[in-house]
Amino acid sequence: MRVTVDVKGEETHEISLADLREIGGDSSADTAEDKEAKPTYADLLREIDLSPHEVSVLVEGRPVPEDQPVESEQVTVLRLIKGGSR
Amino acid sequence: MTRESDTGARPSSDAATDEDDPTLVLPDEIRTQLCEHARAGTPEEICGILGGTFDSDRSQVSSAYPATNVADTPRTRYRIDPEEQLECFERLEATGEEIVGFYHSHPNGPSRPSETDVEAATWPDRSYVIVSLEPFAVGSWRWRSSGAVDTRSESGGYFERERIVS
Repeated sequence: MRVTVDVKGEETHEISLADLREIGGDSSADTAEDKEAKPTYADLLREIDLSPHEVSVLVEGRPVPEDQPVESEQVTVLRLIKGGSR
Repeated sequence: MTRESDTGARPSSDAATDEDDPTLVLPDEIRTQLCEHARAGTPEEICGILGGTFDSDRSQVSSAYPATNVADTPRTRYRIDPEEQLECFERLEATGEEIVGFYHSHPNGPSRPSETDVEAATWPDRSYVIVSLEPFAVGSWRWRSSGAVDTRSESGGYFERERIVS
């Protein structure tokens, strides 16, 4: 599956989940369970050099946990807007 | 007209401004809107999104979109809910605007980015406008995610002061 990741205010990325699995580590060390594991939204973020600490991931306008497997072909990434005086 | 702040005082992290500094064009009526929003929200911090024409060195604000502060401690922190943020961006895109930056208030100062602001900043090259009510001042800073000078974070980013012109 290919996923379109729209980083608001920046670029839109096309990412192949199959490529992510290959990048994911030493395949010889993978267990059968690892090979079945789907890439997560955090894996998508890592691919575009973003940290879960600085962004929110949304699918169909709703936030999704970064540790969940990628299920959607369209993902929106928002950099967080926060801070404060103290 | 160049307007550094209404007190005429520059925050301690300022370098002298000149024509080479980044610039935010902030029309007087929008500046007034931000100040009124900040006063109405006191003692809590208020926040919002600025739309217009973005450039890494000279941006023009054409609209301000107030947002709900959903921080757990809104007197000293602000946070915009991601769903509201996305709705705002979609409204902004529908009118042909770009994301110029953001604004928030410091009801009791400082009239510059705090350590919390530095740690939480995530939007490279966008403008972060701060309305300080006590002392009163309006200033703007660009978040630079790499390089040197000014207020630096552990992540390597820093705020660069920019000129506000109307």
